[in-house]
Amino acid sequence: MIPLLGGLVLGLSSLKFPLSPNLLSQRAIALLVTILTFVIAIFLPGSESVERTWIPSFGAYFSLSADGAGSVLVLASSLVMIPVVLCAGLRIRERTGAFLSLLLLMQAGLNGLFLAKDLVLFYVFWEATLIPSLLMLGIWGRNGRRQATIKYLIYAVAGSLLMLVTVLAIKPISGAESYRLADLLVATTTLSLKTQVWLFLGFSVAFMVKLPLWPLHSWLADFHTQNHPSGVADVAGTLYKVGGYGFFAWALPLLPAAAVTVGPFLLILAAFTAIYGAMVAIAQNELKRLLAFASISHMGIVGVGLFGLHLAGLNGAVYLLAAQMFTTGGLFLISGMLFERQGSFKLDKYGGLAASAPALAAVTLFILFASIGVPGLANFPGEFLSLVGAFQANPVAAALAVLAVIAAGVYGVNLFQRLYQGNQGKPVRDISPMELFVLVPVLSGILWLGVSPAPQLEQIESQSRVIVDQVKASPSGLAVGGDR
Amino acid sequence: MQFPIPDIGWAPLLPPLILLVTAALCLFFALFLEGGRTSALLALVGLGTAAVINLFLFQEARFGDPTAGFWYRYLADLPAAGFNFVILIGTALAILISYDYLERAELDHPEYYPLILLASVGAMVMAAAADLIVLLVGLEIMSLAVYVLSAWRQGSRESQEAGMKYFLLGAFASAFFIYGIALLYGATGAFHYTGIISNMGGEAWSQALAVIGGILILGGLAFKVALVPFHQWAPDVYTGAPTPITAFMSVVVKAAAFASLIRITTLFFPDFAAVITIALTVLVALTLVVGNLAALGQLGVKRMLAYSAVAHAGYLGLAVLASGELGIRAVIWYLTAYALMNIGAFSVLTLITDKNDRGDNLKNLAGLGNRRPTMALALTLFLLSLAGIPPLAGFTAKLLVLQAAIETGYLWLAILGVITSIVAVVYYFRVISTMYFRAPEVDVPEFHSRATNIAIGIAALGTILLGIFPDWWLQLVSAGRQIVTSL
Repeated sequence: MIPLLGGLVLGLSSLKFPLSPNLLSQRAIALLVTILTFVIAIFLPGSESVERTWIPSFGAYFSLSADGAGSVLVLASSLVMIPVVLCAGLRIRERTGAFLSLLLLMQAGLNGLFLAKDLVLFYVFWEATLIPSLLMLGIWGRNGRRQATIKYLIYAVAGSLLMLVTVLAIKPISGAESYRLADLLVATTTLSLKTQVWLFLGFSVAFMVKLPLWPLHSWLADFHTQNHPSGVADVAGTLYKVGGYGFFAWALPLLPAAAVTVGPFLLILAAFTAIYGAMVAIAQNELKRLLAFASISHMGIVGVGLFGLHLAGLNGAVYLLAAQMFTTGGLFLISGMLFERQGSFKLDKYGGLAASAPALAAVTLFILFASIGVPGLANFPGEFLSLVGAFQANPVAAALAVLAVIAAGVYGVNLFQRLYQGNQGKPVRDISPMELFVLVPVLSGILWLGVSPAPQLEQIESQSRVIVDQVKASPSGLAVGGDR
Repeated sequence: MQFPIPDIGWAPLLPPLILLVTAALCLFFALFLEGGRTSALLALVGLGTAAVINLFLFQEARFGDPTAGFWYRYLADLPAAGFNFVILIGTALAILISYDYLERAELDHPEYYPLILLASVGAMVMAAAADLIVLLVGLEIMSLAVYVLSAWRQGSRESQEAGMKYFLLGAFASAFFIYGIALLYGATGAFHYTGIISNMGGEAWSQALAVIGGILILGGLAFKVALVPFHQWAPDVYTGAPTPITAFMSVVVKAAAFASLIRITTLFFPDFAAVITIALTVLVALTLVVGNLAALGQLGVKRMLAYSAVAHAGYLGLAVLASGELGIRAVIWYLTAYALMNIGAFSVLTLITDKNDRGDNLKNLAGLGNRRPTMALALTLFLLSLAGIPPLAGFTAKLLVLQAAIETGYLWLAILGVITSIVAVVYYFRVISTMYFRAPEVDVPEFHSRATNIAIGIAALGTILLGIFPDWWLQLVSAGRQIVTSL
């Protein structure tokens, strides 16, 4: 709740009330709030759940719990938020206060979304988080922002409104007592396969848009290309890739029979997304577009892990979701720093920067390695486990997805070469102490997730196990529900 | 000489009676005072008193036996008292935003506030009526006052046209309505709802007459709430009328008509024949589609809000179709939220347009986010709520309506409602995006008013609080004996 309050305080102060604190204090408040959130997030696992009646006559509860994967994602996103707020305070020059308050509101929404254990509450956070990200794109974006905003809006709202119908229908159809996860889990197992499939599809559109999976991915490239060149809003958007979590926390456990039926198709779609994203990324000539498609490719691997419906894959998928917040987010921050030096995202404007900015090159290489899945760094455990899970379900699709990982090596190394090696342009400033300071949380997050994955995976597994059990218990799931 | 006072049970009539007395007092004071500001304050006091009395009636309806007057022809049951609150809130907000508006627009004539009060008296009578004649009386009291108010801007063609159009078409609709009442009387031999229900299927019962009568009554009420295809008047009248009156009409008139409509559909309408439900289903589906698509094409914000008012009638229609306890609580809740967010949006509009209500085009709104951040933020809030974005009141309202529709078997209509609200998000968001994402293009007059600011503040606070804590009001309107016709 703390980021929410912080967001409101900042929102009010940016209205130019007579008592408005100046920019410095706005930055300080925002930073303090994010750091505080991070500290709270560290102690989140094992903390008590909150449950209040909210709309009892409707069956909706205000129910938040730190059990399971949610707290890992909260921890990761709140750590990424620290450099984001720092960077936003420095780089966003117009209406900084408003931007910071949107960032905090967004973080509040994300935290709620990850921790919600009531479907209506989850939907509320899901939808509420959309508004800050839309406004960030629309107000601070680049020239084509209006088009990009409308595109993003239509994709997102079309998906989530279909989800709303599903949410509303799932309680009366299943006869559950309330919208709490625990009550729904009991009630939905009795649903017939046909009903489950319909409900699953209702969820899927929203989650596929936000994951994003091909063919519902096309908003993402515009979203990233048109966002503020500092890359701050892009990172926030990266945190908001919650479609995978939606499948993991709601659609798969609630509708296991449908997951077994529809899963294989989605698995193929996800594998295709992974390879498609990587291939398109190779061909890009613009830095942010390249990163956008690279991230689509990563999300494909998340999908591959999820729809394999095996314990390892499910763990890996969520782990990758947390890891890519650091790797993709870090790369977007770097892209902002590069833009500040060269004034462009066109890759042919770059080249040979390593000579004048060796430290920046080293940091970039580090994050790029993490991003393409080098062992020992953040993305590797997630990608590996996702693929392991997928191999047990569909070896062919998994093999395709492995190709995407290889392709990631190609665009990653290629990107580094085009930025930092080759013909030397005019010399640029190397990384400043402030920039390095901004990136410290990202770099340490990458190391942390790469070196010691066990505690987080344990957290995630407690929730994955529910899915695997549900799948096994479902009539059509006996054949597939394997273990590790 | 002594007049015998008939024992008709005065208590339920107190809220409208208080407003009636206040209106008379306002007119009386108008003889001595210049301008209408005193009347406005007096009217607010009257509304407050009526609200307090209505609170007692509401509690009575929840816990005790609901009171009724005129031998159960005038009710103070839970829906009636609930709708009274919506009407009172809507009227009070409309009066607040008129306070400085009228002076600026040079329209400050003393009859204005009494007329608004009279219109809400009529609206309350409609909400409470359990007899077709009482319903008709309420409808006419309300309509006549609103006809005059919508033509309030003397000398402006649009306003005159709005009043004339509304009056002519409204009179036409009333004629249908009255004819429907006559036929229904022919079919059942009763005006009183209890009589209609008990005579249904009896000796004198004629299904054909009842169905035709029912359809005509439905048409008359559909005109008042602007269901497609009876909505043709709405955009012109809403655009031509002074903005506070547009706000008033879009909330109070709608609340009154929906109150009577859902009472009728819950009690006896669907029992006549399936064709009435089918007719209503078609109207609702058409309204959802046409209202939202037409709003998409508008460049003026006022006109866009006019079409959006039509579209919202469609969502309310979903709840009316669901009828019963779920439908009633959804309609009351929706209208409460709608009163706050819609009047809120119109209030902001009165401050950013010129004194003749011109300049509500999108290009005039460009850059409002920079020029007047508070106003832009408030309008954003109201539009997001109208679009049904959580956690604002409009979201819960939509949730309740869709729930009522899904649980009573109108799944496909609910899905249509959801699909059309994707369109709605686009046209509401276009206004927001213009305010924030476009640089200012033309000089726009600025107007500030403390009274309007108070109204905006109340509406904004209500929109947020109702959205985050939806339950207390939902509990209040779901408890107790729902609809009463007789003991």
